[in-house]
Order: sequence, then structure tokens, then C-alpha cells
Amino acid sequence: MLTKLPNRACRALLTAGLLCATIGAASAADFPDKPIRLVIPYPPGGASSLHGGVIATSAEPYFGQPMIPLIRHGGGGIAGASYVLQQPADGYTLLFGDVTINLLRPLVEKDIPFKIDDFEPIGRITLDPMVFVASPKAPFKTMKEMVAFATKNPDKLVYSSDNVNGWTYVAFKALMHKTGTKMRGIDFGGGGPAVANVLGGNTMAYAGAPAVVGEHVKGGALIALCTAGKARASTLPDVPTCTETGYDVMWQVWLGVLAKKGTPEPVLAKLRDGFGKLVTDKGLKALIARITSEIKYVGADAWKKELDEEKKSLMAIYALTQ
Amino acid sequence: MLADLAHGIAGFFSVVSVGTALLGLLAGIVIGALPGLTATMTIAVLTPFTFFMETAVALPFLLGVYKGAIYGGSIPAILINTPGTAAAAATTMDGHALAKQGRARHALEMSLYGSVIGDMLATLVLIAVTAPLAAIAIKFSSPEFTILFLFALTMIASVSGGSILKGLIAAAAGALIGCIGLDPMSGYQRFTFGIPDMSGGIALVPVLIGMFAISEVLIQSEKKVLRAVSAVTDGRGTPLPWAEMKRAMPAILRSSAIGTFLGALPGLGAEIACWVAYGDAKRRSKAPALYGKGSLEGVAAAETGNNATVPATLIPMLVFGIPGDTVTAILLGAFMAQGLLPGPLLFQQHGDVIYGLFGLLLLTNLLLLVFGLGAIRFIRHVVLIPHSILLPCVTVFCFAGAFAVSQSLFDVLVMLLGGFAGYAMRKTAVPIPPFVIALLLASPLENALRQSLLFSADGAWIFVTRPIAAGLLALFALSIGLVAWRALAGRHRKSSIVATT
Repeated sequence: MLTKLPNRACRALLTAGLLCATIGAASAADFPDKPIRLVIPYPPGGASSLHGGVIATSAEPYFGQPMIPLIRHGGGGIAGASYVLQQPADGYTLLFGDVTINLLRPLVEKDIPFKIDDFEPIGRITLDPMVFVASPKAPFKTMKEMVAFATKNPDKLVYSSDNVNGWTYVAFKALMHKTGTKMRGIDFGGGGPAVANVLGGNTMAYAGAPAVVGEHVKGGALIALCTAGKARASTLPDVPTCTETGYDVMWQVWLGVLAKKGTPEPVLAKLRDGFGKLVTDKGLKALIARITSEIKYVGADAWKKELDEEKKSLMAIYALTQ
Repeated sequence: MLADLAHGIAGFFSVVSVGTALLGLLAGIVIGALPGLTATMTIAVLTPFTFFMETAVALPFLLGVYKGAIYGGSIPAILINTPGTAAAAATTMDGHALAKQGRARHALEMSLYGSVIGDMLATLVLIAVTAPLAAIAIKFSSPEFTILFLFALTMIASVSGGSILKGLIAAAAGALIGCIGLDPMSGYQRFTFGIPDMSGGIALVPVLIGMFAISEVLIQSEKKVLRAVSAVTDGRGTPLPWAEMKRAMPAILRSSAIGTFLGALPGLGAEIACWVAYGDAKRRSKAPALYGKGSLEGVAAAETGNNATVPATLIPMLVFGIPGDTVTAILLGAFMAQGLLPGPLLFQQHGDVIYGLFGLLLLTNLLLLVFGLGAIRFIRHVVLIPHSILLPCVTVFCFAGAFAVSQSLFDVLVMLLGGFAGYAMRKTAVPIPPFVIALLLASPLENALRQSLLFSADGAWIFVTRPIAAGLLALFALSIGLVAWRALAGRHRKSSIVATT
């Protein structure tokens, strides 16, 4: 009896092991059977973390599993994007990417440790114009005054920036190119720290997504100068477009969800389906509206086409930053 | 405001809300006590579930988890030399030394009292002066942070033990490890040797687990003793004497102030506050020689400092909607899901809810005290477990904990290497805390310094031309001057005694 016991234990272990193996094999069909992580590649408080937090909060009913926002910032989004690529391609770790880390930077920078095609689009969530804002303490209240100030005082206008080829970086570089001015940007690594510094009066100006600056504009803590879209932003209808103010700066940025390339097709399909339904959720829409933003969802197929077309326009914008 | 407070408390206090706050607190303590499980991850997992709960239930629950976890981290720090959270790293210094002397109960109780008092005072600050404090905190930018990080770096002198030289060697090694990964501003890879796992940098928690816990297991395995303390001494473990509490009181009060101040600044959290509070307490202590060898004051300072940051981190988040760290970033989502949009208008529109929440925070503090004291009666017996059972268990916890941080086997490797490095350091009397402090501060200091110099039109002058930076620099110089003067005076006195004899 005693001698048989280890044998039996072995058999039990073997059975358990086989069971686990079958569970592993069935995982694509059962997806998701554990929480999904949404990696936010920028510091807390920026557009990525604000939207990511809200989306993760509302996601559970559409996936049957909780979604956990995971902030991994550093290197202007590279740390977070690389982290996703280091995880297995099983759909449990998604990147909450954006126009710079998933498109512009791998397009124009040589040292980015990944390629655009290393990610598989799931769905675009937002598309917002950059909003130029000024601190109430700054010596200008309108776009004209800001440019006049910068012309008169080269290198004296200090603005909050994010990182090389980031949203704000591109916005101001383009403005400087169009106006022939020189301003000084401080790279704070993301919208959260950047907006904190313009709010604290440490810098004079900033350009960010409506979600980051909207509440402060409404509360009077920041002055909105213009929005860099084709038409006025529906979330900030009182703010003129940059073209209206006489400066033809166009810079719209998107946030979207991407998976690692190589994720099984059935898993991708489930994720695309889940996000497609999630963006119609009333609770989510209300929350997104509350952070002065709105959903502009585009499904994977249409988005892929858009991404291809966008490369050209991005190169045109990039040329302005040189 | 008082009317808001009264109205809020009336609306907020129900058996259910107090009960869920308590549940959150207990869950937080358990999570904090398990190395590798963090408050951030737990709150991230639980937040979606609070979406459908009432405000008066959801928020107290999440805040309870946050508080409980920061306190819970001190329990394994004291009992098995393993900081449960990075914020409890400074607690291991004296907490475990006390446990080895059979005074685990004293250390655990001191940590509890310190945590509760620190949290309580910081909550009162939160209630009384949130808006003005936030207005000051937001004026802090890169130059001010540079000076604060430099100041925190000087704490290395306080935790270097006998030899400053060895302390500096450890700190240099820590700073070097801290440089691994992506350049914080441009994203270039540094010292990664092409290994993808290293591009994200070396994670702090696995290093801490290895350096403190694995090295301790290795050291203990060399000895033939059966258990950390004899059953006789611990079995009679007496409650913390009032005299000890009184002696630690100045350190507790100062650490509360330090924790509250650092917590209110976006980006400075409990991990740094515990070391600053600890180092400051040692500098001002009447018995600095006892630090590192079992000082109750040291335990009190570290634990008060880290818990006082918890309510304070809510200050920039609530007033400006700017979360300073990853926990508050997730809490921000939870607040928004409840219809409370943090920002300038929050206190005007939802004053009653916010003040009710603050009131509830005070109450959960008292509950933490009651339940903590109850739990200590049982958990202090961990030190009685024979080493032959305890050490293997701790080792398993270390592996699980290092893996749990981000489900990465690379982290387990980091933990093991950290463990052997820690063992070698202890064998050669090279202090571990300077290594940890430098690792913690290297990257943020570099970032802040480079931003400051970009800010500045004329180089390093920015540190004196900005009023707050200049003020901090003056305080910094004064504090170093004072330490130097005291040291010189002490030497002078000693030499004059020698001369007269």
C-alpha cells in the first residue's frame, strides 16, 4: 500500500498536468479567461491614462473579464510599447497606443526598437485636435499675442512639452516652423506632468488633448488659444481653430488599442468585437464626455486603411518639425 | 467647510460604508503583507467592480485597500526582513533587528501606531488645507524636484552604517543599476546589452525582495539556531511601553509632516518618503547609534512617513485632477466613474461627498488601530516558527512575489542576483540601504536635472533664480551645515576631553 502511494501520486500529477495542457490548448476558444491588461505607455494624468482608466473601468461586461490599466511610462512611450511586445501574443496584454508611438516615431526614428507592423490594430478610440493653451500668468491671451511675444522674444517663451516627436512636441515645432519663431520646450514625458507645469505657472504655454486641458479651460485655470483641427472641436465649441486665428497648424491625434502581432485570429476577432460593442456603452460615453472628450471609433479594417494613408500626411507634418 | 463636513459625514456614515471600508482595509493589509502584490495592481483589479456601487461604498473600499497595503508592508519587513511593499524597505532596518531581539511585538505595535498617527495627521491636513497646499505643490517643477531628490540622496549618509566610503560604493552601484533601461527623455537604450527585458529598466520590487529577504535567508541558513528568538522571550511579549511611545513622538510628528509634504508633491511617493523620514529621524535622534540595530524610533519614523503620504497623494489628484503616481491615476478613474470629476470645481460641486469621505478616512484609521492590535497578537508568533520551516517558506514567497510583480521570469532572475549581491554586501559590511536609495532616485533625479537645465536660459542659475528652489536650496545647505557643525563640535569636544585627561 505504502509503495503504491507515490505511484498513485505520480499518476494524479500526470492527470493534472494533462488537464492543464488541454486548458492551455483551449485558451483561444475560452478567451478571455483571465483579466486583460491595457498598457498605458505615458505617465499618469495625460490623455492616455485618462482615457485608458475610463475604458478599463467600463470594459468588463463586454469581455467577461476585468480590464486592468497598467501604466508603464518612459522613453516617450517606448517602454510601454516594448513591454507589450515582450509579453506572449495571446491578447491578454494590449497597448493603448497613439499616433506617435505606433506610427510617427517608428516611421521617422531609426532607434525605435520595434516596427509599425509589430502591432495588430484592434480599434481606434479617439481622434482629437491638439488644443493650444496659455497660462493666465503668461504675457499673452490669444494666439496672435503669443506669436507676437515669441517673435519679439526669441527663446524666451517656455512651453510644457512631452517628448521628442510626441503630441505637444510636434504641435509646437509645426507652429514655430509656420511662424518663423523660436520657443523653448521642456520635455516632461507626457501630458500629465506637462499640464501640471503650465497650471503651476512654471511654463507659459502647452498644447494637449481636450481631455487634458478641457476642465482647466472651463474652470479658467488655462486660456485656450486655438484648436489644431479642420473644424472647431465639438468638445470645446467656443475655441477657434488655429486657421481661424491666422495660423494654419493642423495636428490631430488618435488613441487606439493594438495587440502584439501574432495574436491568434479568433482572439483578435473577440477583442475587435468586444471593443466595437464597448464604445457604444452609454456609461462609457457619459464618462468620456465628462473628461471633455468623445469617442470616434473606427474598426480594425477601416483603421488599417487609414493608418496607411496617414503615413503621408504624417511625413508632411514631420517635415515641419525639422 | 465645517457644515460640509458635518453634512457629508451624516450622509456617508452607514453600516455598509464603514463595513466595506473595513473590508478594503483588511484586504489591503493582506496584499501589502505579501511581497510582490501591490496596492496599485489590486486597486486596478477592483476598480471596475466599484463602477456599479454607490459612491459611499466604492470609494471608502478602494481607499481602505490603499491605506491597508502601505501599512501591511511593514509586517513582513519586521518579521522576516522582507518589505511587503517598496514603501516598507526602510522599516526592515530596525524592525527586523527588533524582532531578532525578541521584541517583534514592540516593533509591530510601533509601526501600527506610527502608521495610524501619520495617516490621521495627514488626513487632518487634507481636510483643513487641501486647496492652499495644492496651490503650493503645483508650483514645484523640475528645479525644485532636483533639489528635493538631491536632499533625499543625502539620506545615504544616515544609512551607511559604520563606513561612509562603503555607503558611497553601494550608492554608486545602485545609481548605475538605476541607469539601465531607456533614457528617460529621449528613449535611447542604455546598458541594456540588447536584452529586451532590460529595456524597461530593473524593477525595484524584485531587487528589494532579493536584497533584503533572500540575503537574510542565506545568512540565517549559515547558522545552527533553531528559530529567530527563543519561545520564552517572545511568548511573554509585552505591549509597547508608553515611555517608548513618548520617546518616539517627536520623530512621529516630524515624519508625519515629511510624509504629508512629499506626498502632496506629484511624483514623490511613499517609497521615497520612508527613507527621508527615516534619515531625518536618525539625524535628529538622541540615540542615533541605535539606528539599524533595533531602534523603535526608526520603525516609527519610516512607517509614519510612508503612511502620511497616502492621504496627501490625494491632494494634487483632487484639486487639479493630476495624479502624481500610478495608484492615484487609477483612483482618479474610480472617482470619475462615481461622477466626481476631480479638478478645481470638485469641492464646490460635491463638497459634502468629499468631506464625508475624509471623515470616513479618519474613522477607518481608528478601525485600523483596533484591528491591527488584534492581528498583532497572532502574527507576531511568526518569529517562533523554526527556521527549517520558515526559511523555505520565505524563499517560496520571494520567488512568487518577484514573479507576481509583472509575471516575468526575468524579474525572478533579478531577485536572485539581488539576493546573492545582498549576501555578498552583508558579508563585506557594505550597507544595502544606500544602494536602494540610489537605485530609487537615480532616474528621477537625472530626469529632473536635465529638465531644469532645459528650463534654464543660463545654466545652473535656475536653482537660485526660482524663489522656491532657492528657499529649498538654503534649507538644504542649512541642514547639511548643521550636521557638519554638530559633527565637528562633537569631535572638538572629544578632543578637548582627551586633552584635559
